Amino acid sequence: MSDSPSESTVTPQAHVAEQRQRACVLAQALRQELQKVLIGQTDVIDDVLTALIAGGHVLLEGVPGLGKTLLVRALARCFGGDFARIQFTPDLMPSDVTGHAIYDRQSEQFKLRKGPLFTNLLLADEINRAPAKTQAALLEAMQERQVTLEGHALPITQPFMVLATQNPIEQEGTYPLPEAELDRFMLKLRMDYPDAEQELEMVRQVTRSTRADMLDVHAPRIVLQAKDVLALQRIASELPLDGQVLAYAVQLARATRTWPGLSLGAGPRASIALARGARARALLRGGEFVLPDDVKGCALAVLRHRVRLAPELDIEGLSVDQVLRQLLDQVPAPRT
Amino acid sequence: MHPDIVIDPRTPWEAMDLGVLMAQRHRRLLMVSWAAISLPVFILLSLLFRDSPSIALLLFWWLKPAFERLSLDILSQALFAEPPSLGQALRRWPSTLKPQLLASLTWRRFSLSRSFSLPVTQLEKLSGQARLRRLAILRKRNLGAARWLTTLGANLEAVFWLGSMALLYLLLPQQFVADWNWQQLLEMAESNWLWLEHLTNLFYALILVFWGPIYVACGFSLYLNRRTTLEAWDIELVLRSLRQRLSALAVVLVCVFLSLSPAPETRAAPAIDSPQMPHLQQQALDSQTAHQAINAILDKPPFRNSETVTRWRLGHEPSPGERSGALGTWFDSLDGHIVVLIARTLEVLLWVTLIGLLALLAWHYRRWFETFVSRRSESRTIVGPAPEQLFGLPVSVQSLPDDIAGSAERLWQDHPREALGLLYRALLSRLLNDYRLPIRQADTENQVLAQVVGLGQPALSDFSARLTHHWQTLAYGHRLPPAQAQQDLCNGWRQLFDKGARQ
Repeated sequence: MSDSPSESTVTPQAHVAEQRQRACVLAQALRQELQKVLIGQTDVIDDVLTALIAGGHVLLEGVPGLGKTLLVRALARCFGGDFARIQFTPDLMPSDVTGHAIYDRQSEQFKLRKGPLFTNLLLADEINRAPAKTQAALLEAMQERQVTLEGHALPITQPFMVLATQNPIEQEGTYPLPEAELDRFMLKLRMDYPDAEQELEMVRQVTRSTRADMLDVHAPRIVLQAKDVLALQRIASELPLDGQVLAYAVQLARATRTWPGLSLGAGPRASIALARGARARALLRGGEFVLPDDVKGCALAVLRHRVRLAPELDIEGLSVDQVLRQLLDQVPAPRT
Repeated sequence: MHPDIVIDPRTPWEAMDLGVLMAQRHRRLLMVSWAAISLPVFILLSLLFRDSPSIALLLFWWLKPAFERLSLDILSQALFAEPPSLGQALRRWPSTLKPQLLASLTWRRFSLSRSFSLPVTQLEKLSGQARLRRLAILRKRNLGAARWLTTLGANLEAVFWLGSMALLYLLLPQQFVADWNWQQLLEMAESNWLWLEHLTNLFYALILVFWGPIYVACGFSLYLNRRTTLEAWDIELVLRSLRQRLSALAVVLVCVFLSLSPAPETRAAPAIDSPQMPHLQQQALDSQTAHQAINAILDKPPFRNSETVTRWRLGHEPSPGERSGALGTWFDSLDGHIVVLIARTLEVLLWVTLIGLLALLAWHYRRWFETFVSRRSESRTIVGPAPEQLFGLPVSVQSLPDDIAGSAERLWQDHPREALGLLYRALLSRLLNDYRLPIRQADTENQVLAQVVGLGQPALSDFSARLTHHWQTLAYGHRLPPAQAQQDLCNGWRQLFDKGARQ
């Protein structure tokens, strides 16, 4: 996406189409690189790319050993920007994330030392291991893309994406993410076990090499730079979105508020995330406009962490995903 | 009667305790005699049923009442006289078996009060109605205890039996046990481990040698206790022993009494002193004051307990049985039919209210029912009437023109959107009505397309894919389809659907 937009010989429309074409090719290349490293998680890779293109943050949930961290590291390798990683632990302090002021003896002045938050791609590993105050240090950065240190608001370089991982089974000694924090994540992704064939292929590839790490087995090449990501985000946001499709996205988010079986519905941020996610998916798909399928495709990931299941259904053993699937099966698709 | 055993009215449990003591006192005689009769029988049975130890054990268990008779005979003799020697006891055994042995071994075998009712049969030698009447009197109080005795006895037998087997296992040397493979042992046990079963049977026979006499003694003492209560046996026995002791002295005493007796006139005083006698009336405490004192005492606790109860009551509470004034007369003045009518009306009203409340509740939670009550049946294919509208488009056959392709061609020039919409609507209509595809309101175009592909008809899938693509481009991308798409789609439609219609 390094080409300048001022090419003279083509009409603006054709230029836009060409740009979309290139963006799509770039996104496909990125997806292929990631699929080489992370075998058998195509949907998760697509969703992570959706969030990257839509400019959202991702919460990855899955049992250990499915490659959550590997996916994020692979994304960082493919991406030319800065990458930082914070391992969340119970004694992690907010200043360890955001940074702090230290006294410099030579200059006899306080100097700001920026934390790992000032980066393009942030991996917050095991985010629910840190107490709520440390988790809250991310809030401002995630929503407003800035960090207030010693009274000064410092902007974070764009693009900025937080990828947090958490483990759903170990609940002891963890601090569940508060609703406000959850709401800031655009998508919550569930990683599941790969298929038998894919797992076989993965084991074959890893064991053939002397290295234990998939990243060493298939060293991903740098596919795009920070400004390419920004361009992708811009192109995606310019994709035409029909009024009906937008209405469908809003209707889905609104339906969660009155849906029986959900005690807490999704807020307006969910509608926004649905629309953005749909645009990003349309770009990834190589489409020139957004379809209702794009909205429906990312609805589960957008909504599952923003709603709360009614206690009756919880007792009955239903999961949020099951209830949301019922909702998706009953909200009418757009009328055109 | 043995001097150490005192017959007194006791509780059933104490009586059974006494039975244990009795069995303990004559333990050697009882156990040896039991062993002497039961073990030969056991050996005989084991030999007879060499190949099926279980049957041998069952028969041995079944014969228990016969062995119990000997113990009871010994105990009864020991209670009222000297205990017999072993030889005497064994010689008497066949005679004890005579009364009603068949009944004891058949229909009375499972009686839970066996040891309690055995003395009636064996010692009192009652049978038929007399026995039943006797048992009815005896069982009035002690039946429960007697049944418990048998139940606990059965449990104790089982405990001792298992315990003895466990003891045998513990006594095996450790080196020998360590190499055991239990699975293998179990498999072997099926074939030639009969001797082990006979050994466990022997354990049971030995346990019975110990427990059988105790059980009989407990039942016997329970029987004695019941008779003591009913017939004042204890007093009778004391008097009997008095007579035995004093019979020699009696003659001497009578002589002494007669010689020392005063003049006959002194003994002519009135035999009975009534309270009204004057010499009683003149005493410091005469019978009247005594009567008053007695009454005063009877008025106090514990003879009379008066307590004060404080509670709320409504106005002047009418005494029970008497109706309150106004309401009572009003009820009386009412005609019986009217009361019934009012009651019926009220009943109907109450039922209507209940049903209405239930309906209100159901209506209030209607969305719940819609969503969750029917969710199990989602997988059923919808065979009912096809929806009239889908995606806001009327898709019923009536709403579509007869010649779809022709109408679309005519519309295409001026209203391409309507033309494409018509084709898509018609496709949906065909899918719903001809192919019975379960298309729902929530399905997007691509999901419908996926269902069409699932039908496995390449021509239909191809046409649907093309039409869906053009329709989506127009509807969501706001881009008109290229000109050749018109002919392409209309021809496709004719090939697919009109061909069948013409034939």
